[in-house]
Amino acid sequence: MGINLSANKVLASIPYLLEGVGITLKITALALLLGTLLGIVLAIIRVYGSGVFRQFAIVYSRLIRSLPLLVILFMLYFLGSEIIDIPAFWAIILALALHTAAYQSEIFRGAIQSISKGQMEAALALGMSKYQGIFSVILPQALRRAIPYWANEATIVLKDSSLAYALGVTELMRRGEYVSARTSQPLLTYIVVGLIYLILTYAFTKSMARVESKVRIPGLER
Amino acid sequence: MAKPILRVENVYKKFKDTEVLKGLSLTVYEGEVVVIIGPSGTGKSTLLRCINRLTEPDSGDIYLEEQKIEPGKSNLSYIRQQIGMVFQDFNLFNHLTALQNVAVGPIKVKKMEKNKAMELAMKELERVGMAEKAGNYPAELSGGQKQRVAIARALAMDPKIMLFDEPTSALDPELIGEVLEVMKDLANAGMTMMVVSHEMGFAREAADRIVFLEDGVVAEMGSPEKIFNNPEKERTREFISKIARLNNGCKDQEVL
Amino acid sequence: MVEHIEYFISIWPELFKGLVVSLQLSAGALLLGLVIGLPMALMRTYGKGIVKALAVAYIELIRGTPMIVQLFLIYYGLPDLGILLDRIPAAIVALGINSSAYQAEYFRGAILSIDEGQGMAAQALGMTKQQAILYIILPQALRLVIPPWSNEVIYMVKYTSVAFLIAVPELMARGKMIISETFKPLETLFWVGVIYIVVLSIIAKIVDLIERKLAIPGFQMIRED
Repeated sequence: MGINLSANKVLASIPYLLEGVGITLKITALALLLGTLLGIVLAIIRVYGSGVFRQFAIVYSRLIRSLPLLVILFMLYFLGSEIIDIPAFWAIILALALHTAAYQSEIFRGAIQSISKGQMEAALALGMSKYQGIFSVILPQALRRAIPYWANEATIVLKDSSLAYALGVTELMRRGEYVSARTSQPLLTYIVVGLIYLILTYAFTKSMARVESKVRIPGLER
Repeated sequence: MAKPILRVENVYKKFKDTEVLKGLSLTVYEGEVVVIIGPSGTGKSTLLRCINRLTEPDSGDIYLEEQKIEPGKSNLSYIRQQIGMVFQDFNLFNHLTALQNVAVGPIKVKKMEKNKAMELAMKELERVGMAEKAGNYPAELSGGQKQRVAIARALAMDPKIMLFDEPTSALDPELIGEVLEVMKDLANAGMTMMVVSHEMGFAREAADRIVFLEDGVVAEMGSPEKIFNNPEKERTREFISKIARLNNGCKDQEVL
Repeated sequence: MVEHIEYFISIWPELFKGLVVSLQLSAGALLLGLVIGLPMALMRTYGKGIVKALAVAYIELIRGTPMIVQLFLIYYGLPDLGILLDRIPAAIVALGINSSAYQAEYFRGAILSIDEGQGMAAQALGMTKQQAILYIILPQALRLVIPPWSNEVIYMVKYTSVAFLIAVPELMARGKMIISETFKPLETLFWVGVIYIVVLSIIAKIVDLIERKLAIPGFQMIRED
């Protein structure tokens, strides 16, 4: 009886958890937006850049990929307390963005390098500048090719956004903990939280697959 | 007449909507070398694959000596051990050296002692002229060398019959000769062989019988002499002359 | 500068203890992940019906949820079922289960990338399907899986830091403890970060060496860097 009652309490908390989903999605979307832009820029620098810029892109990717997200997250957070004030909400977004940018730069670099050299040569032969070649010939192909890998990385960002829990941001995971404490039903609560994440990642993966087939170029093999 | 080694009776095989084998029957006798020719898509490879059950025929019976070859039966492995198969694309095991490739069958399937198997493998490699490359991995061998190792691998199982599925068609022209040499030696040594190949030179020299397959059945068969010079059917004549032209046109003369 | 080095020397013993715990967690989790992941890969690749469905469900369920949820389910949730695990075993189990799903997919990818003719040639020699998998497919797949697997090692060492959230005294947690004593968060985190970077480069080098050692001429995946 008692168990049923508190089980009901968990179920009654679902709307509260769903509000957390809104925050989770906001964090994920903003982090992906920033991370993808930075990732593409780093990839372009890596492939077409030279000298110190290229070195920077390489070192950035190496270092960030060797650091746990939590370390980056706390660095930004404490940077806030010491130098400029970064609210927890933005600290997690920035941390996720900086982190995923390193991985995405590798994804986009791979995609760019997989486009045959002849494409760029043909663009240059037409009189395009290198930049025109990159932006109107190489990237449109490379970005399509990167979609499945990007989608995979995006679900990682979605899942990693749960680490905002560590800073007390009231996204889905943190709210899950509140519900668990209030109802004394950690098992049920975290199963519900897990299912919500599962639905989110599943829906995202499915819709990205649809995007991929929508923008596919007929006859061009991946 | 010698005793039959392999009997194929009324075999049918369909892939999706395409009927590839349409009631094919064929008997191969001990010590005989049968070369199978025919237009692409007539089921030459499918026939070989059906024989050792890498492909499941829809109906019909196949016998190795007196044993019926049946799927799902415990004797399948036993039967396959007695049928050597050489593939068009070699399929050497990439992670094993040439010697290990030849020894792995005796060791794992026949449970032969390792030292003995290695000794046997070395002998088989010598037989195909590949002893020098025993320690090399497949990726370090040329196509012709790979195929010779693949032949040794099949021989190591001491098969009653060898099936060759277009053994030279993935090879550069200059590498074909060495593989055909090995096959001729085998034929001379009395091995029963079934060879899908359009190497007319080999067929003329080594075959006891040529089987012309068309449209999923045996259209005509006979001695090389008869099939090359005096075929009964017009289609056979056309096909032979087409192959001869192709061979003369784009392949090394030496081969013919 | 000297002052920074001195600070590092003063906190190193604590951080080192944490590093040892992090590495223990990683090793335990990777091993558990391997032990569960490889059978899952085989079930998903070669299994039929319910066996395959189970493997797919397991893998997708784990890959679809955050590690922290899995960790909390095991550490806080399982006691509801009467299963109580200490912090460190709970962390190893959670990290290991998480890793198993990813490892399963790496193994599956490697198995699927082996040419079909390999299994066919093995069967033509008279090997059973099991023998072909065991002696021909897996030895090749296990070599091909090394590069993605080494990435998993690096991921795992990084992700052990999540165990800090259930107060396992690993590297990250030690760092936080030091911060609350010295009030030098950025400097402390800097050194924590340096340790991760150095340790991970060493691990990457070791894995690279192993890969070279096991390499077969002309047969390896191009390593993505």
